[in-house]
Amino acid sequence: MGENHAPVFIANLVSRNRSERIWKNLLQISTLIGIIFLIVLLLNIINQSFGYVAIGYRVPPAKLVGPGQTLENLDIPQLAGILRQRVSPGLLKQLENDTPLEQFSQVNLVNLVMAKIAKPEVVKTWSFWQSLSMREEIKQEVGQLPETRLVFFSWVRPDLVSNSQSSNPLIAGVRTALLGSLWIILIAIMVAFPLGVGTAIYLEEYAGDNHISKVIRTNINNLAGVPSIIYGMLGLAVFVRNLAQLTSGAWLGFSSPETANGRTIVSAGLTLALLVLPLIIINAREAIKSVPDTLRQASYGIGATRWQTIWHHVLPNSIPGILTGTILAISRALGESAPLVVIGASTYITVDPANVFSRFTALPIQIYQWTSRPQAEFRNLAAGAILVLLTLLLSINAAAIVLRNRYKRY
Amino acid sequence: MAKKLSLGIKLMVVAGLMLSACSLAAAPAEAPAVVPATEVSLVSMETSVAPASPDINDPATLSGMVITAGSSTVFPLSEVMAERFKEEGFRGEVTIDSIGTGAGFERFCVTGETDISNASRKIKDSELEKCKAINRNPIQFRVGTDALAVVVSSENDFLTDVTVAELGKIFSSSTVKWSDVRPEWPNEDILRFSPGTDSGTFDYFVEAVLGPNFKNADGKADLEAAKADILGSSNIQFSEDDNVLVQGVEGSKYAIGYFGFAYYMENQAALKAVSLEGVSPDMVTAEDGTYKLARPLFIYSDASIIKSKPEVAGFISFYLTYVNDEIQSVGYFPASQAALDEAKAALAEALK
Amino acid sequence: MIPSQTKLIDEKVTSQLLKKRNRLGERFIESTLVFCGFISIFITLGIVFELGKEALPFFSSTDFKLIKFLTGTTWQPQIKLFGVLPLVMATLTTTVIALLIAIPFGIGIAIYLSEYASVKLRSTIKPTLEILAGIPTVVYGYFALSFVTPFLRVLFGKDVVEIYNTASAGIVMGILILPLIASMSEDALAAVPRSLREAAYGLGATKIETTYRVVIPAAISGLAAAIIVGISRAIGETMIVALAAGAGPKFTFNPFQGAETMTGHIVRVSGGDLSYDSIDYNSLFGISLLLFFMTLSLNMLSQWVVRKLSEVK
Repeated sequence: MGENHAPVFIANLVSRNRSERIWKNLLQISTLIGIIFLIVLLLNIINQSFGYVAIGYRVPPAKLVGPGQTLENLDIPQLAGILRQRVSPGLLKQLENDTPLEQFSQVNLVNLVMAKIAKPEVVKTWSFWQSLSMREEIKQEVGQLPETRLVFFSWVRPDLVSNSQSSNPLIAGVRTALLGSLWIILIAIMVAFPLGVGTAIYLEEYAGDNHISKVIRTNINNLAGVPSIIYGMLGLAVFVRNLAQLTSGAWLGFSSPETANGRTIVSAGLTLALLVLPLIIINAREAIKSVPDTLRQASYGIGATRWQTIWHHVLPNSIPGILTGTILAISRALGESAPLVVIGASTYITVDPANVFSRFTALPIQIYQWTSRPQAEFRNLAAGAILVLLTLLLSINAAAIVLRNRYKRY
Repeated sequence: MAKKLSLGIKLMVVAGLMLSACSLAAAPAEAPAVVPATEVSLVSMETSVAPASPDINDPATLSGMVITAGSSTVFPLSEVMAERFKEEGFRGEVTIDSIGTGAGFERFCVTGETDISNASRKIKDSELEKCKAINRNPIQFRVGTDALAVVVSSENDFLTDVTVAELGKIFSSSTVKWSDVRPEWPNEDILRFSPGTDSGTFDYFVEAVLGPNFKNADGKADLEAAKADILGSSNIQFSEDDNVLVQGVEGSKYAIGYFGFAYYMENQAALKAVSLEGVSPDMVTAEDGTYKLARPLFIYSDASIIKSKPEVAGFISFYLTYVNDEIQSVGYFPASQAALDEAKAALAEALK
Repeated sequence: MIPSQTKLIDEKVTSQLLKKRNRLGERFIESTLVFCGFISIFITLGIVFELGKEALPFFSSTDFKLIKFLTGTTWQPQIKLFGVLPLVMATLTTTVIALLIAIPFGIGIAIYLSEYASVKLRSTIKPTLEILAGIPTVVYGYFALSFVTPFLRVLFGKDVVEIYNTASAGIVMGILILPLIASMSEDALAAVPRSLREAAYGLGATKIETTYRVVIPAAISGLAAAIIVGISRAIGETMIVALAAGAGPKFTFNPFQGAETMTGHIVRVSGGDLSYDSIDYNSLFGISLLLFFMTLSLNMLSQWVVRKLSEVK
């Protein structure tokens, strides 16, 4: 390097260092933005899940009692009288099935009057942020509405999981959808797990490096990239339409009307099985590949057959990886909605699935339907259901991470 | 550690296989038909009021599945009725799929998988034919009246009243800008929102609004041409999901849409209903027909289903008896007493 | 075995023991596994065959003209207008917007994590971003509709931005594929041997110079594959566009207007349930087939890129 180059080099160094700093900052910022996206997404959902709700009544309780009285002050005969007067005969008969109204406790009767006659209804909802920032305005606004009370409401209620769907967002829940999701995933995994692990074993342990296995490998990678809605169309054509006899359970003598012409849990499960199969294969292959060859050689060396080697040495050592992949596949299946919409999930169904030939709805479908209801409060309810779904997914993913870390050997 | 785990996984695989085998083997046993007689008597002893024969007027004596599908307009009404039906003791289940009137009849008349078809228009002749082909004779039950609300955004300051002819022009492919309809209206593109082509609402709108503009050779309304006209118009969005329409119309000053009155009721703050030839939709104008876009809501079933499935008969009977208690809270208008009585008579006739 | 013991064993017995036996169990297991291996081929063939079979009545109907299908700008099967361009345009618009978000941020994050961040920071941020990738897409759709769209409308004005628009769907889709691209790119960058970087540092290069002159060229095949996989994911994404992009085929270049993508159209039309063997039903399979081949060729391309570029290296 000549002497006259040094000043140029030093001058360059300053600008080079500056650009180094700028780029570092830029890269840091982009990482930060990525994380901000995640936070905003979660905050947006939480923002919708909690907040003030103005609750009115179909029949205001004040109209049921005389002036100066409240429901809680009334005695048993008075409350029973209100119920007898206002409730339809069928319901009354239902209520008095075991004991006449007069023998109910006073608290029970008040609850009955509230639930069957007064019927609380959502008048308006506010987001969490609005509830914090505009508290006074909201209180004033609700104060002007007659017979309306303001409560701070959590849309993630304990009974969100245990209640079935309802037209009243205050009591609607995801029970049917959750059970539907679990059934579908059970079927999907029961089909895809053995097939997927079998394929992975074949590709890694049996198939050599020939043309056929190359084609299969490329093909699996391609299948992993096929949009989920294509699997939905395939499921619609094959499981719902062509194999309706099979998937509606008619071949097993299920001619009962609740089977829905192939639009059943088993169709949904099989469709999602196809969807997650490539995922399971790819993960299982990686896991099997990571088992050191010395282990196999040692096994062969003491005279084990190929399958004995696989069953006793390769599989036990690759199981953590295979399970991690399977768990990720489960979480993928749990969140899928497009293929299930295409297959034909039910809109309103309150009955728990009885067997694999039942009609179904699933958790993401329920969320999709609630977001598309006209009433704004159903969007809050959808946000609550999203939190349930996310909690479920996060715990499943956490399980996968724990499993991976705990059993990771190679 | 890994060994234990592998044992676990082997067990899981085996259990999985057994489970799948068992669930197939056990599945038929869950069907009600195979319940042993002793169990039946046990069950009836526990629930002391278990009835000997189902009575269609008492939901508590009925069980089984009532499968319904069809119009998204009728859906909220049927949903509320189903909930009440269960509240009054019905021991079975009602399922309702909101898929559009046309698709509902598809399931009722072609695949024959539903017991009741919800409809926001009368059944078409072509659908009747298909029903006959699978030996079903649809019986019509009128349950209420829906006024079709023509809505614009609450920010819209130029549109308050239109004639039916103008409305036809607004939704026509030959019109692009508002000023094409009335010169004093803004020179802006019309953003149109319409229920999907599978919905009864769409069919009804085409027939009532665009139909009169298209006559075929015998002077009758040419509905195919009318359909092509609205489908070919620019800036139009279709959705089975009425909320998409509500939000779409709400979103722009130059948007217009139409859908069931219930969806307007839920969104009164953001939307404005346009009056038709000076008449705005309400209970009186919908029932006496002075509001031009009032249409009947129906449920359809079939005599042999009603006879063989008392739970279906019970649900329809209950529906017709109590529908007027709930219909306004859902956002529709009651059918006249005469129409309801006629529906009840049809039910009685079917049960004979 | 100890040699002295071997002699004690009868020669005959040993040869008997060591003879290759015809193990039925092994054979059975092997053929079962071979069957498993071929399942994936069956699925692919099944997709092509079923979609093709159901789409055939559409492609062979007298109203169908290939030229019109590929160049027509109106899609209204009910009145026999089968121009698929509006659907393809909307798909491209959302995809391009998604990539504008996902590529710079995704690769930026990947570079930061692999070149700058400490090991500890990397092992926290990577799983965090992977959570983003695991959130169901219906949640993203909800996010687009309840947050991004109102945000855009405040930013650009209500008259400019329609309530359903491809921009909002595209942005959220970008957030969805960002972690995918970041994670795959990070893997590619991390796989570049440390010695290459050390050599560059030794010559006096700064970190960013090393990254651009040495690390990225070395990892380019992995980065390209990540981007292509991201594109393919964006094209096939459904729920976000179904909820936020709009519900009517429309030929437009304006991202602030509503338009329906191929996937959005399929899910909307089939959500209302279809008449069997109607033109609507069959045309959906036609679109699906097109979509399948679009994503298939992208996936093939990505695998080819990886192979070709790594050969060059």
